[in-house]
Amino acid sequence: MAALRIVLSGTEMHTYRFALKLPRQPVLFLLFAISLPLCADEAIRRGLGPEPDSLHIHRAQGLAAVNLLRDLREGLTTYDAAGELAPGVAESWEVLDDGKRYRFTLREDAAWSNGEPLLAGDFVRALHQAVNPADVAATAGLLAPIVNADEIIAGEQPPEALGVEATAERTLEINLKRPTPWFAEILAHPVAYPLHETEGAEGQNVAQLAVNGAYRLADWTPNAVIRLEKNPHFHAADQVNAEVVEYFPIEQPASELSRYRAGELHITETIPAGRFEWLSDNLPDDLRIHPYLGSFWLNINLRHAELGRSADLRRALALAINRDILTRVVIGAGEQPAWSVVPPGIDGYQPAMMPEAAMSQPEREALAKALFARSGAAASGPLRLQLRYNTSGVHRRTAVAVAAMWKQVLGVDTELFNEEWKVFVNNRRLGVVTEVFRGGWIADYADPGSFLDLFRSGSEMNFTFIASERFDELMRASDIATGTERQALLAQAEAVLLEEMPAIPLYYYVSRHLVNPDVRGYVDNVRDVHLSRYLSLEQP
Amino acid sequence: MIQEGIVRHGIGRLVSLIPTLLMLITIAFFLIRVAPGGPFDSEKPLPPEIRANLDAKYHLDEPLVQQYFRYLGQILVLDFGPSYQYKDWTVNELIARGFPVSLTIGGLAMVLAFVFGTSIGIAAALRQNSAVDYGAMGFAMLGISIPNFVIAPALILLFAVYAGWLPAGGWDWSVQRMILPVVTLALPVIAYIARLTRGSMIEVLHSNYIRTARAKGLPMSQIIRRHALKPALLPVISYMGPATAGLITGSVIIERIYSIPGLGSYFVTGALNRDYTLVMGVVIFYGVVIILLNFIVDLLYAWLNPRIRYDEAS
Repeated sequence: MAALRIVLSGTEMHTYRFALKLPRQPVLFLLFAISLPLCADEAIRRGLGPEPDSLHIHRAQGLAAVNLLRDLREGLTTYDAAGELAPGVAESWEVLDDGKRYRFTLREDAAWSNGEPLLAGDFVRALHQAVNPADVAATAGLLAPIVNADEIIAGEQPPEALGVEATAERTLEINLKRPTPWFAEILAHPVAYPLHETEGAEGQNVAQLAVNGAYRLADWTPNAVIRLEKNPHFHAADQVNAEVVEYFPIEQPASELSRYRAGELHITETIPAGRFEWLSDNLPDDLRIHPYLGSFWLNINLRHAELGRSADLRRALALAINRDILTRVVIGAGEQPAWSVVPPGIDGYQPAMMPEAAMSQPEREALAKALFARSGAAASGPLRLQLRYNTSGVHRRTAVAVAAMWKQVLGVDTELFNEEWKVFVNNRRLGVVTEVFRGGWIADYADPGSFLDLFRSGSEMNFTFIASERFDELMRASDIATGTERQALLAQAEAVLLEEMPAIPLYYYVSRHLVNPDVRGYVDNVRDVHLSRYLSLEQP
Repeated sequence: MIQEGIVRHGIGRLVSLIPTLLMLITIAFFLIRVAPGGPFDSEKPLPPEIRANLDAKYHLDEPLVQQYFRYLGQILVLDFGPSYQYKDWTVNELIARGFPVSLTIGGLAMVLAFVFGTSIGIAAALRQNSAVDYGAMGFAMLGISIPNFVIAPALILLFAVYAGWLPAGGWDWSVQRMILPVVTLALPVIAYIARLTRGSMIEVLHSNYIRTARAKGLPMSQIIRRHALKPALLPVISYMGPATAGLITGSVIIERIYSIPGLGSYFVTGALNRDYTLVMGVVIFYGVVIILLNFIVDLLYAWLNPRIRYDEAS
């Protein structure tokens, strides 16, 4: 039995991908079948959500791919176990010219997984490629703070004009258009990772590429498993505990939960909607709910005649919604009612709250009725609105509850439209049929600007089409300000936004995982970043 | 004479495959393009320059008809192109990796369904209106009416979560990971085949030549084996053609619930992501499989049914 387990539990399991293997002896097979879910091995097994769209740093867009790339590669900066920004390939950096120039010193022991040293030139080459319009990175927009990035993407300048320079073998300088306080965090994103000089040709097999992270790719079977093994050339390899990490793309949260309960996963990507209560009763030690840098809100298309005309109407709609019921009863997975667009949890920033946050719900509803009457929206018969959301159980329940609350408090008739994702994003972008529609944002970097930039007039993410002079002015002022002055300007801008109310904040997102109590080194954090290099399994 | 007829018929059928496929390709190509949104619509709208570059790279900036003929040209050399969503893979690679998995699960399910379905059906037919008959047909009715998205989680809960005998999902070519999906996939087919077999077996058993065989004093087991089985299986065989095609090209529900890397989920993810090349690839692949299987069913028919012969006269 012991010998059998070694054979079965080792790394052999995923190697015969193409050959159909059936055990020859039925008895052996029976033992195999019985022992499998119980067998212990050193691999940490994690749920991944959907199949990653790409493991190429410039083509990856989805969260699944980004999470994998954080294990396989490392930027100048990275995250520590608690999800805080930490030095990565760069051991230190200086901020010069009042925040417009960064000088990074690369660590001496930075290396590729093939043993070759990793030098500043590897970053320069990768960044040139990322903004090259011929094959531009999907997330190249994140590099916009770098000098000439936008011009290169638009084809007005050659890629070599990018404000990035290797001033020595291990010294890299990056020039910015203007001080960008969150810039160091951009460098932890895959779009700013280095590339080995052999990488870039079409048709390369991703599995064979040299990487520079704590792990390297051992096996990738689409929609089944992505197996990573420890990279011995990683600079902190001696601190990496788990030899093998396996990621399982499982799109169905219910299936992920079954596999977790059967002992096949150590960490899940999420929990199924509606199972929060059951899980807190039955798996309280495994359930990890933690604030997340994201907000859910309802966008309002200000091009709509009635909705665009009156801020009173928009505020009435916002106040008529009972967020306590919404978060506690309708969604119910630990989300917190939101009274601001920017979620709490960003260092040094105090979100501007809707003043009505301090009121009781009956007071808010009374105010909502008064504002609604003042807006004159129901002057000629009851107001009819359309509420759109992309397919999701949580969105549907939220929409139904909101419609009921609007009906009850304001007498507004709401028609619900469930749209498939691609249809939804298309309608949202065009802004012709949209009235009220699902909105929300998860921060790319821990900065209030990540949320507030969405509402600048002219932003391609401004789906509400708000063009507020006051807001834009405060945002422009914040662009050239620094430190607490900048945070104060951003908070003022957010306050303006909440007055104009182009978006109705409903709740702040939470991250939801099941984590096996045997897993060590897993720290809940607002970025929900959990690099495998910090994790280990306590052998029972 | 008969062989020559079959060969002629086979060639004819294979040639008729071409216009059918062409029609399939044409309809699928233009239908998926009619759907709103495109492969590059995502959470963050791409800057127009990037979008234009991507469109040019994938030839999406050309007139639709030109794209259509470009695609037809690609298919002639069996190149389904790159996947828009899974950017590290070509559609050929995805099909090459997904199909063996779906074929294994679907094939095993079909074998299981055929063996159990016909056995149950024959047993029920021989003891018509007995407890065996009612039991078998009751089971069949259940098997048909309980959808597999109910059966699958129930089986997982029972055998993986509570008992811990089998894994709850995933795929590594090991037999214990195949058991639950194969059984789930086979159950409704077993039920359907059992009902089909019972019905046709009862009909055959009432026919004159069976009565003659019984009158001659042949034992029942021989009558079934030598005279009744082949004609009774005819409706089962004709059902099995398209059913096998459906099973071996993957079931979305089974694949999602058991996290199996088969072809089935590509139909859905491909369509939802507007991954034009992936959708086209799996649709064409499915089309070819279904046409080939129907062809095989035709040949089996000739072997099973002495009244059908592909000779000059027919």
